[in-house]
Amino acid sequence: MSKNKKKLDVIDILKSQQNKFPLMFIDKIISVIPGKELTAIKNFSYNEWFFPAHFEDEPNVPGFVQIECLAQAFILTFLTKKEYKNYKTNFYNITDAKFRRKIIPGDVLKINAKLKNFNRGIAQGYCEGFVGKDFACSGEFTVTVPLIFEKFIPKK
Amino acid sequence: MNNIKKYNLSFTKTFGISEKKIIKLKYQDIKEWDSVGHMNLMSSLEKEFNIQMKIDDIIDFSSYKKGKQILKKYKVIIK
Repeated sequence: MSKNKKKLDVIDILKSQQNKFPLMFIDKIISVIPGKELTAIKNFSYNEWFFPAHFEDEPNVPGFVQIECLAQAFILTFLTKKEYKNYKTNFYNITDAKFRRKIIPGDVLKINAKLKNFNRGIAQGYCEGFVGKDFACSGEFTVTVPLIFEKFIPKK
Repeated sequence: MNNIKKYNLSFTKTFGISEKKIIKLKYQDIKEWDSVGHMNLMSSLEKEFNIQMKIDDIIDFSSYKKGKQILKKYKVIIK
């Protein structure tokens, strides 16, 4: 592993961002270069709150949860930097979302997240998720960090 | 490319509108010039003119016309 890459466990992640149970969808980060990219892991067991409802006879991860997994991995690309640690974020844009594989109980989603640009509280980047070698989902994200972003907005 | 062309191109490219519509344009006149559109416009201008704008100037940049005055501070003259 490169000396610039770090690993984070769930306690580290909880200290870096503000999503908590039942809306925390990253279990660990197996490598991160803060401000650049990371690889994150989310394990899905049948104990997840949504499986009994989606669906009773065919449990699988809802699309909105997959998007949230990708988004949470994405925001950690910059929230792992000391200066942005634990800041709240807002969605601005999600584009080109793709869902190509059903994710079921027992699956492990591995997410690669890349931060393309971070400027004045606007983060733009791309995430893709895999189950084993199978591509599962992906999306382009634009997220704002209100505490930074709002300092630059013109007064009307 | 001269400065007015670069300036106009930042607006037309960022907001996806024609040059005709930018002359009287003000912040939030169109949905594309929202808060995030504003930051994208600032980034585009900084890149075009190789400048780094100060926070106060970014906040004051409230229209196409006002922007020309602000860029003078950075020795970017737009005629």
